[in-house]
Amino acid sequence: MDAEARRRQLVAAINRVAGGDRAALRLVYAETSAKLFGTCLRILGDRSEAEDVLQDVYLAVWRKAASFDERVASPITWLVAIARNRSIDRLRSQATSRVNVPIEAAAEVPDASLSAVERLEISEDQARLRDCLQELEERQSAAIRAAFLEGFTYEQLAEKASVPLGTMKSWIRRGLMKLRTCLER
Amino acid sequence: MSDEDTIDAGEHSDLTAAEYVLGVLGAEERRHAEFRIASEPRFAAEVAFWEARLGGLAEGVYPVMPPAKIWDGIEARLSSALAPEQPRAGLWQSLAFWRTFAIASAALAAASMAGLVYLANLPSLGPPLLARLNGESGQASFVVAVNKGGDSLTIVPAALLSGEQQKAFELWLIPPGDKPHSLGLIDPTKPVRISVPGTLLPKVNSDAVLAVSVEPPGGSPTGQPTGPVIANGKLASL
Repeated sequence: MDAEARRRQLVAAINRVAGGDRAALRLVYAETSAKLFGTCLRILGDRSEAEDVLQDVYLAVWRKAASFDERVASPITWLVAIARNRSIDRLRSQATSRVNVPIEAAAEVPDASLSAVERLEISEDQARLRDCLQELEERQSAAIRAAFLEGFTYEQLAEKASVPLGTMKSWIRRGLMKLRTCLER
Repeated sequence: MSDEDTIDAGEHSDLTAAEYVLGVLGAEERRHAEFRIASEPRFAAEVAFWEARLGGLAEGVYPVMPPAKIWDGIEARLSSALAPEQPRAGLWQSLAFWRTFAIASAALAAASMAGLVYLANLPSLGPPLLARLNGESGQASFVVAVNKGGDSLTIVPAALLSGEQQKAFELWLIPPGDKPHSLGLIDPTKPVRISVPGTLLPKVNSDAVLAVSVEPPGGSPTGQPTGPVIANGKLASL
């Protein structure tokens, strides 16, 4: 099955989940859980936290499936957004900062038996994003990537890059504005 | 956001939606952004724009196979969870769905049952404004009915909330494009009637969003939500 067919299958499965179909949720899980687990792990840097959040993520998918709109987002985009938001909220609710904690997730070995859906979607949007990120200054795009992938706050990013908070905010905000202009072109 | 805003001041530079999606905001700022997603369609569209565009960065994430017990845990929790909600259904239908659940749930407090009877009788009072406030999982946590005359409302818990005895629960009214206004503290175990201050009366209409946040005892010290929002929903007339 090609990527587009798998994507359509995933859209159909999410729509069936909205009708209370557990087998469909199982299918969505089978196709996407490694990607979403990787997402949670990357942000949380802690396996047991990530496992806990991953369960919440699929329960949220179960509950919110009816609000999925394929005209607004691809299924993977929608699912990753849920996983990131849950992970970031969990991270923010923890008292301690993990700025200087080594990122366990980096040591995780990618699983070889992944479904194709998890590797698909080198879409036009993605190619466009890559081009637009390349137009930014290196430090701007690096900060934007780190923020997205690791869930760092402005404060943490500034600390990591050893620059004042205002400088980091300026890098990211200018980068985002430039990115918006480029993406809307 | 704060002191540093001057850097990019001017033009069309409200980047809050992008910052929310990027994940650089703190807990309180995230709660505020979520209020705006619930109450401002333009802001919600902006968030959707960034989610779609920045989503491509997720390609930098290595997939990692989760242990098998995770699915077992999800399946076990599905059994006790509600069926998926149907946002496209009319309010009557969702209310009926909610009521069925509530009545079926043995865990419900007797006080809430009294509230259900009260709500079931509401239509005879005239066409009321109602809101179902869903929790994070999408599960109905409270139902709110604006009382006849519109100067007070009744909030009924739809599920028992546990483990938060040391906290206060505060109800907020969020008119479109506006910040949250406190309507006061509520009791998560029984129906509570809340008077709406005169200045907020014109804002209690079908454009407004209601939300419940967890606050320190006595309520929010800042006049704005400081704790997590545990439920929110839009007012709608039957």
